[in-house]
Amino acid sequence: MKADLNNFPQLNKTKFENRGKEFRLGIPVINAVTVGNSIAVGFGDGTVRIFSSGKSSEPIKAHKGIVLCMAKDGDHILTGGDDGRFLRISLDGNINEISNFGTRWVDHVTSKNGSVVCTSGNIVYLWMPNKKEPKLLEHDSTIGGVAFDSKGRKLAVSRYGGVTLWKKDYSNKWTSSDLIWKGSHNKVIFSPDDRYLVTSMQENQLHFWRLKDKIDSAMSGYGAKVKSFAFVGDSKYLATSGANDAVCWPFDGDGPVGREPICLPYVGKQLVTFVESFPNENAILTGLSDGSVYLSEIEKANNTIIIRSFTEFEVSAIAVTDDCSHLLIGDMGGNILWTSIWDEEKN
Amino acid sequence: MQETNKQVPVTVLTGFLGAGKTTLLNRILTEQHGKKYAVIVNEFGEQGIDNDLVVDADEEVFEMNNGCICCTVRGDLIRILSGLMKRADKLDAIIVETTGLADPAPVAQTFFVDQDVADRTKLDAIVTVADAVHLSSQLTDHHEAEEQIAFADVVLLNKIDLVDENGLEVVKQRIKKINPFAKIINTTKCGVPLNEVLNLDAFSLKRVLEVEPDFLTSDHDHEHDDDVTSLSFVSDTPLDMEKFQDWFTKLLQTKGQDILRTKGILDFTGESDRYVFQGVHMLMDASPMGKWPKGKERTSRLVFIGRNLETMNLKEGFENCKSA
Repeated sequence: MKADLNNFPQLNKTKFENRGKEFRLGIPVINAVTVGNSIAVGFGDGTVRIFSSGKSSEPIKAHKGIVLCMAKDGDHILTGGDDGRFLRISLDGNINEISNFGTRWVDHVTSKNGSVVCTSGNIVYLWMPNKKEPKLLEHDSTIGGVAFDSKGRKLAVSRYGGVTLWKKDYSNKWTSSDLIWKGSHNKVIFSPDDRYLVTSMQENQLHFWRLKDKIDSAMSGYGAKVKSFAFVGDSKYLATSGANDAVCWPFDGDGPVGREPICLPYVGKQLVTFVESFPNENAILTGLSDGSVYLSEIEKANNTIIIRSFTEFEVSAIAVTDDCSHLLIGDMGGNILWTSIWDEEKN
Repeated sequence: MQETNKQVPVTVLTGFLGAGKTTLLNRILTEQHGKKYAVIVNEFGEQGIDNDLVVDADEEVFEMNNGCICCTVRGDLIRILSGLMKRADKLDAIIVETTGLADPAPVAQTFFVDQDVADRTKLDAIVTVADAVHLSSQLTDHHEAEEQIAFADVVLLNKIDLVDENGLEVVKQRIKKINPFAKIINTTKCGVPLNEVLNLDAFSLKRVLEVEPDFLTSDHDHEHDDDVTSLSFVSDTPLDMEKFQDWFTKLLQTKGQDILRTKGILDFTGESDRYVFQGVHMLMDASPMGKWPKGKERTSRLVFIGRNLETMNLKEGFENCKSA
């Protein structure tokens, strides 16, 4: 007898699974970003699909191998691939190649206020608005992550040994300063209020800097590498993956130094692999290594509901539409759930 | 599920400049082998021809903050291997080329230290391409050449058509003195069947049991102190597990930088299973590996490859581990 994966019996489907649309694509989901009320998903075969209410998604053949990174750019998305291409893609599937690096991968992309950035190796390529040629910002080691602050005047570049913080002055000249911490830094983000900079590291820990006085500290104690983290609300908490609990560090007041994180436990001993903040609430969506996804209020541990039951594949993407009507969950087995959040919404 | 959990074998290809690495890489990329390989190279400048994938990398060695003094890893490999493992199509093998002057230790350590890399890939073997004509002088002049031989599971002794029989024997003895485990394959223009260099599973503990190193006599004469050499010990008396662990852990902690590779099959008092281990510097993989074969002696064997081994009182240390 052979199990038919498309009709695999699911015990206790959640109400979101019952009313949402499930896609069993079999292609690893690498990333997902929200563009207005649509969500763009990048896959391990180089394709991108756009999900929005009432529309079916056709694969857009963007990259040859894999969509390594993705970011929102106005009403478009930016993607970088292991085919060396850096692309700008419209929601209806029009592809514009911004640059091509050949056998060198495009590792990270981001944008803010019309400025567009990709990184390949140790170089940041920065296209200012309406400029054809990029500005090159070189670093001593390969770049682990890149992020703009909320105004687009600062660009944080994580790397081996810390973070290079680039600042743009009013004549549009970029100058840099270093935030130093031993070890290799990967993903980097600013807090929504721009007061903090947080990186995840090659070791099982995170690091943060308070920018006004450069106070910094490690956040450690994780059983695995912290691959996913997100600020909740207006920087009140930093939710993190890498443990059996969703570990939420307090970033209000003077920040997390000397304070304990709130740990949200889930059923079983699964690893938290993905976290995303739930808009306008002190709540997070937590994805686990068995594919299950929960919505939890951080300050009320009892207020947890299950959004998706297990698929056996680790959750690799969660995104919520800007109007907070729909959410999308993707995993490394290529399963996607697209569902309305509120009972009265249509899919 | 099984498909995603399968670890993809990674072959590390080292060798001094001009030894013939590029020749071998070209063969891997152009031969009709029906497999899908990814080749991670430095400034190779060529596209994969068949079905294969060429990835450009910068060798980037960094230290891990885990309190282990010699724990350097290859950051670029962590990034590229993690990326390759997210692909929808599965690779049959990955080949990592290192530059001629690279120390192979950080590459090997990457597979022990990074959990994502260890979960999805496995170090298959270190293959060193050596130039039969120039190896002797390279070994004398360059640390890196010694290390590349010391770490090798396979030494592809290339350009043998350019040396006479006597010269070939001299160079082979030199290799064996540094590394008694390595399988030496004589070639011209790297003309070796690919199945003798890929998919060898040389880093599995099972293979430690299969490879009988050429144990050398214990007369070790040294030309200079930083010579890489090997020392091996054998005992028919069972060892005391606690004493051995104490001695060996301390040894790796304090001398791990000079000890390049270790392998051993051990007979512990009161244990019915053979205990097998192998290590790279301070990092070690160890496990009980089933019962001793019937009718064969229960002999403990332990081999070290490294520098300054004669200063570590290894013989005395090992003798002290024997059960009273």
